[in-house]
Formats: sequence, structure tokens, C-alpha cells
Amino acid sequence: MSERAPTLVLDRASVAYGDVPVLEELDGVVHEGEAVALIGPNGAGKSTLIKALLGLVPVVRGRIEVLGRPPAQARRDVAYVPQADTLDPDFPVSVEQVVMMGRYRRIGWLRRPSAADRAEVADALERVGLAGRARDRFGTLSGGQRQRVLLARAIAAKPRMLLLDEPFNGVDAVSQHALLEAIGSLKAQGASVVVSTHDLAIAHLACDEVCLLNRHQFGFGPTGDVLTPERLRATYGGHALELRGDRVIVTQT
Amino acid sequence: MNWLDSTVHRALVEAVLVGALGGVVGVFVIARRLPFFTMALTHATFPGIVVAALLGVNLYLGGGLFGLLVVAAVLVFGRGRGQDFTTATGIALSGGFALGVVLVSAQDGFTKDLAAYTVGDVLAVGTGDLVATTAVAAGVLLLLALVGKELLLAAFDPVGAAALGLPTVLLDFALLAVVEVTVVATVPALGTILAVALIVGPAATARLLTDRLAPLFPLAAAIGVACALAGVWVSTQWNVATGASIALFVGLVFGAVFLGTAVRGRVRRAAAVRA
Repeated sequence: MSERAPTLVLDRASVAYGDVPVLEELDGVVHEGEAVALIGPNGAGKSTLIKALLGLVPVVRGRIEVLGRPPAQARRDVAYVPQADTLDPDFPVSVEQVVMMGRYRRIGWLRRPSAADRAEVADALERVGLAGRARDRFGTLSGGQRQRVLLARAIAAKPRMLLLDEPFNGVDAVSQHALLEAIGSLKAQGASVVVSTHDLAIAHLACDEVCLLNRHQFGFGPTGDVLTPERLRATYGGHALELRGDRVIVTQT
Repeated sequence: MNWLDSTVHRALVEAVLVGALGGVVGVFVIARRLPFFTMALTHATFPGIVVAALLGVNLYLGGGLFGLLVVAAVLVFGRGRGQDFTTATGIALSGGFALGVVLVSAQDGFTKDLAAYTVGDVLAVGTGDLVATTAVAAGVLLLLALVGKELLLAAFDPVGAAALGLPTVLLDFALLAVVEVTVVATVPALGTILAVALIVGPAATARLLTDRLAPLFPLAAAIGVACALAGVWVSTQWNVATGASIALFVGLVFGAVFLGTAVRGRVRRAAAVRA
């Protein structure tokens, strides 16, 4: 693991919206081919950290480096997957049009998609198991399928780093499996993955590392080391309940 | 004699132009949920027209420039703390129109002249209006052809567009400015109050008929042209207000298509239940 190049470096980083600090004193390193889960209650700052990694929210103290560059300069190699239900389901756009958006950066201004772009779109849809739905309107798909379409959009961008904001929220088992498979194959190709989630089981399943967040960092490291009852209680405050000594239930996320 | 020397011929050409332009731009207005903003712009350009009339400069230039000011104001206010786009739009609508009314009421003998600009008169358009509308239509189509895909992404997923590094503020401004020049170009035919009909109605009607983006544009343009021509025809036949006739047709066509698609949907669901 250690010979792999670091793709994400957090160095005493603090992030703020205007003069309102959201996250303070974050530290950690993610390497090529690794996945890190951002875990914490609502309002903990998980989405804000993802936006900071995109260079959309400023780092006010310390340093964040993405692929060796300041976040805003790394966007070309970073793909962002929003929560599907933040997008208007009535928007008149087809599944393949949404996935093609992942190619826009490579296509460039004033130009139209080429046959190669269309092939990448078809391939990306294949990888999330939705090849047959290309011509359907985005909003007619289920929540889990829409989330897979957005992952396909990210895959089509050929990213070296993938940022996913709560991709498993309200997602059915079939889509959850498809998402995990696709994320796994991106990791195998050397991409780093940052995924915010409420689901501790998924963090165990899909991620090598965990970053526990609630305004501050309550732990960053290998999943097994960090997801301990003590640390979860500290992160979630009064909303974490202990079961049989070694398991923790988070009652309010 | 030039074909365009006829009032009715000029009206027909203007009807085709504003119908097509309104239809095409309307697709973005509907998809981006901007009908209220469009409504506000139609009212907020009013003081610009009044000021231009007072200064004796081109009325549409006045309306256009003032409208751009309103667009910028809405974008800035909408980003303020605890504000949103709709709130800023509401304030721009009432504030702009009120300013226009105050200006008009301060000028005796001015009111009648300006009434034409609140409801429009497509039978009164001159060759200059036709040239202006053609230029706006050409510019808007060119812009949509060049940066249509970026406008689409910024409309569908603003954060995703920003994440790609697209200049979303500039794209927002471009789209709102397109709506604004379309409003101003439509004003001679329908007036500041009715212009919203041709921008929102045909695209909303087309949206009932298809889910796909590509056919939405020609379909909305065709519906806009048909309604505008029908409105001109009715108003010349029975000597009623042209702008209002066009707006009425837009409303009737939307209502008919709405009922038609609702009935068709019920029949299909019933058939599906039986099958």
C-alpha cells in the first residue's frame, strides 16, 4: 500500500462557507486504488468536504491536495456523483444524455460528441447494468437506477478520483450491488474513491479507510481500526447505542 | 410595391419570428422552471421602455438594457444570505413595474402612447421591429447551437456543472439574458404583459407531448408559430386585439392538449388494468 502514490492529502485543513467554519483540523492521506468512507451525522460536513475536494468551498487554513494539485486545478481528473434525488426528475433529458455530460469536459466547448464519446457512454452504462435503458427519460428510472446512471456519468469521465455524495441513500438491493461492483472495478483500475454514507455496513464492505466527521475529525484510518464503538459514540454524540458490547447502532443519522 | 409594405404581411412575419423564438427559448424556461422569472422580466422591462420614451431613444434598447440590469440584480440578490432566486425575482417584478407606473403617472399625456407597450400590437410593427426580432432570433439560435450542451448541464445539475469547472454564473447569466432579449423582442407583438404567453405556453404544450429534448425545440417552435399566426388571422378578421388573441390561442391549445393527453393517459391505464 505504501508504495502507491497519495491522491488525496488533508493537512490540518479547515473549510468554511464565507466566515462560517464547517470543518476544522482534518488530517489524512488516501492512496491510488483506495476508497475512504466519510461517516458522520447529518450536518456533520460530509457534503461540504466533498465540495471542498472539488474546489467549490474554500480551504481557509491548512492544505488540501487532490492528485498533487489544489482541488480546483484537479477537476479534470475528478468525477463527482451527486445524490440522485437532488436532481429534477421532470427534466426532459434521457439516460444517455445524462451520461454524456461526463464527457463534456473532454469534448470541450463548441464541439459535439463523437462516435468515440458515444461508445464510452454505452460502455459506462454497461458497467452499471443499465445498457438497455439508454433512451429512457432519466426521471422514469427508480432512485437506485438514477444513482447508477450518475455513477455511469462519472465513469464516462475516466476519473482518477471519484467523489460520491450519499450514493446508497434509499437505494434498492440490486442497485446497491451494482454500485458496489462498479466502484470496486474503478478502484481496481487505480482510481481513488471518496464516498459519504450513513451506512456503516457499506463502509466496511466497500472502503479501506474511514473518516469519522462531525465538524471535527473523530478518526481517520483503516476501517476496522476506526469504526469502534467509542469513536462512533464520540462522533454521533447521544445518538449511538451500544449492542452487546461490541456493536453500535446509530439511531439518528 | 414591397411585400413587406403591407401591415398584415409584416404582422405575419413578426408572428412567425416571435412564435418560433418564444417556443425554442421556452423549452429552457420550462426545463429550468423559469416561467415566474420570465413573467417578472416582462414587467421589469417596462420602466426601461418608459425611460427610453422620455429620453427619445429606441424603446426596445431601453427595455433591453434595463432588463439586463434586472437580470444582474436578481442573480446578485438571489445569492445573498437567506435569499433565494424566487424571492429576488418577486421583488424585481413588483419593483420594476411600480417604477414604470410611477414614471408614466408623472408624465401627462404620455399614458396612451405607452399603453401599446403593455399589451402590444403586432399590426403596428415596422420593418425596424422585424429586423430587431430577426437579429435576436439569429443570435439566440447561434448561442444555443454553440453552448447548448453546457447550458443543458448547468440547468440540469448546477453543482455537477461547477464540479466540471464550467463557469456556472456566466452560463446562468447567458440563459437569463437569452430569456430577457426574447422578452424584449416579443414586446412589440404581444406587449410587456402578454409576452410571457408565447415563451411559456408553446414549450409547456410541447412538454405534454414529448419527454425527449431534441423534438421539444421544433415542436414548441411550431406550436408558437401556429398560435401567433392564428392570433393575427383572428384579430384581422374580427378586429380584436392581436396580442390578446395570440395569448388566447396559446392558452386554448395548451388546455386542449392537456385534456387530450389526460384522457389518453386514462384510456391507456384502463387498458393496462384490463390486460
